[in-house]
Amino acid sequence: MSLLRENWRIALLLVFVVGSGIALFLPGAPPGAPSGQSGMTNLQYGIQLDGGTRLQAPPVGITAEGVDVDRNQETELARNLSQAFGLQPIDIRVAAGSNTVEVFSKNVSQSELQSALEERGHDPETVRDGVTEATRNDMVEVIRNRIRESALGSGTVSTIRTAGGQTFISVSAPDRDADELQDLIDERGVVRILAGYEAENGTYVTTPVLQGDDITDVGNVRSTGSSFGVDVTVADGAADRLEDEMVEYGFDQRTFCNYNNEDPQNSSGRCMLTELNGEIVFSARVRQGLADLFASGEFSENPVFTSSTNSREQARELEISLKTGSLATTLDFDQRRTQTLDPALAERFRFNSLVVGIIAVLAVSGMVYLRYKQPRVALPMIVTAMSEVLILLGFVALVQYPLNLSHIAGFIAVIGTGVDDLIIIADEILQQGKVATGRVFQNRFRKAFWVIGAAAATTIIAMSPLTFLGLGDLSGFAIVTIVGVLVGVLVTRPAYGDILRYLVLSEEE
Amino acid sequence: MVEFEVPEIDYDRYSNRQLAVVPLAVLAVALAVLIGAYVLTGSPVALGIDFTGGSELTVQTSMSASEVRSSFDTQPVSVQAISSESNQYVVTFDADSGDVSDFRDQAQSSGMTVLGSGTTPASFGSQSQELALIGLAIAFGGMSLLAFALFRTFVPSIAIIISAFSDIVIPLAVLSLLQVKISLGTIAALLMLIGYSVDSDILLNNHILRRRGEFYESTYAAMQTGVSMTVTSMSAMAVMAVMATFFGIDLMSQIGFVLFLGLAADLMNTYMLNLSLLRWYKFEGVAR
Repeated sequence: MSLLRENWRIALLLVFVVGSGIALFLPGAPPGAPSGQSGMTNLQYGIQLDGGTRLQAPPVGITAEGVDVDRNQETELARNLSQAFGLQPIDIRVAAGSNTVEVFSKNVSQSELQSALEERGHDPETVRDGVTEATRNDMVEVIRNRIRESALGSGTVSTIRTAGGQTFISVSAPDRDADELQDLIDERGVVRILAGYEAENGTYVTTPVLQGDDITDVGNVRSTGSSFGVDVTVADGAADRLEDEMVEYGFDQRTFCNYNNEDPQNSSGRCMLTELNGEIVFSARVRQGLADLFASGEFSENPVFTSSTNSREQARELEISLKTGSLATTLDFDQRRTQTLDPALAERFRFNSLVVGIIAVLAVSGMVYLRYKQPRVALPMIVTAMSEVLILLGFVALVQYPLNLSHIAGFIAVIGTGVDDLIIIADEILQQGKVATGRVFQNRFRKAFWVIGAAAATTIIAMSPLTFLGLGDLSGFAIVTIVGVLVGVLVTRPAYGDILRYLVLSEEE
Repeated sequence: MVEFEVPEIDYDRYSNRQLAVVPLAVLAVALAVLIGAYVLTGSPVALGIDFTGGSELTVQTSMSASEVRSSFDTQPVSVQAISSESNQYVVTFDADSGDVSDFRDQAQSSGMTVLGSGTTPASFGSQSQELALIGLAIAFGGMSLLAFALFRTFVPSIAIIISAFSDIVIPLAVLSLLQVKISLGTIAALLMLIGYSVDSDILLNNHILRRRGEFYESTYAAMQTGVSMTVTSMSAMAVMAVMATFFGIDLMSQIGFVLFLGLAADLMNTYMLNLSLLRWYKFEGVAR
């Protein structure tokens, strides 16, 4: 036991090294690590080292906060405002729970919203740029689902706060290029089914009969002769309503459809219209079989029909939009930040930065050796510094933090500070006079530690602004450096002191 | 065989004034460079797209740099070849010269392969500028407070603060002279420098003020350790700067370059400026 008590610093270092080795190399060891991943380690790589695309953009919209509105006024106010601004009802979100009113349009200014609310007796406390957290979280969820539903499904979606207090939505996808990713998320994905028919006064009317929310189950794209379609199941409550409305508009009878997309008023017959993002993408008559089901009321017992489009791409977009729901608002691509990198180039960066790191370690080792000329002092120093890097890599693998170039630079910086501190310890302990007694050793070690602790504290203080300022990738660099310094001061550097003590004592004997 | 030994400098031969005048003169020149650049261009250092906004493409092509330059509808700000790979260039555009998607299209239609691209909106860039300054101010202020907390006397603390300030200003002036465009990586390096460079100052102050022993003896002990530390770190940073430049990894080469310069400045500041202040404090300041 006393052996352990005397050598607890070395023991602690070993525990950390073994733990890091497990986190780094044992497949599936870090919680939340993707299983069945190829590659030698559990490390996650960011865009710069793995390739792919990252796109960051703020959601379009303004928010009035502290709006005095009751739950039963929500729908009414939303409808009123959408009419006043000439927008669709889905462009306004009124939430009594958080007392907020959001307008998802670039065409409404803050002062317009302010006065519109004041006119209606709902005085807001403030009106600001951006949307609410609830809306952002909805969007993150929808985008995440879209990436999963689309062909090559992996990617991460999160919100980030920028310098000016704006909140951006950040989307990273390792295996696609910028245009592909942008196409996937640039539309809100609003799907509506409309019924088009001639009213009694002779005008051609289109009325929405189904919204995206009314559809519970969506099949995969299939070819339906000349067109493509997806089978959709209508939710129970909506199916009865749909049936009643279809009968009311006369869709239970033999019918034809002649829809004129350029000039809807020139249309004739009864048409089922599929609308995607505000555009009619398909029109067709109701097949006789379905019309009979509407007439007999059997449709609601098995409410399935095929929603069609002209092309496979549109059908795919329809499918993804129906499956993942619509985005509350669009992203403002004029203010986007993007980064995209070819995987081959990223791989080269990964390899080259590793080479840079190794050569930096060799340079440091060479300097240390030239300085001490005793392998027994220099070698443990180099090994200790390397173990520091291993522990850091273990930490990064454990928290599944995506590595970028700035982190590799951070590692090299940590090797630098680490070796600095080891030199302080070595010089202090190896100075004139024997270390024979534990008390002398402890005394010298404490003196060395005062300097190391002070130096570490300054590095941590200098780096800390980067962790919360939101300056891009630099928070990663700062976190790696701070963790590295902490691991160094608390674990590896004290252990080096103990190692040196053994070496010196055995020499003196 | 190469030997790495810290030379013992005969400080007795120089007065405090003689010692301090060199680093102070260098600092004054550095400040003059930064102020001059500010007056001439509106910014003390050239700002990269992280701070101004703009777009960047990495392309592969058999064209020459000037052919690449003329392949775009709008003139790129710079076309830079990557030294480790032939036929690869980094092309940079202003924030107001167009959209990155258009540049990608133009590059592709001229037969280039686009390996990577990035864009930062101008609004984002100016926010980053502001934040970077705030970050530097917080870091520097925090470091200064800590220096006072550690030594609790005016002269030794202020000595640390002045040399840390000079350690930051000198590399910035060099970057300004070389017209290097600074990026977020530079800011990381400058913050790292605040942490790094005070190590040797703390070590020197600690040896001289908190230990028993004669002044020059303590100084030499501190120098032996401190110079070894700084030179070792400098070797790591030099390697990083040279290798990363060769491989075309801008971020790492800039961090390496800035830290190398800063540490070199720190050698001068610690063992000339800080030392002369401490010697004055020890022999004259305390006696008053």
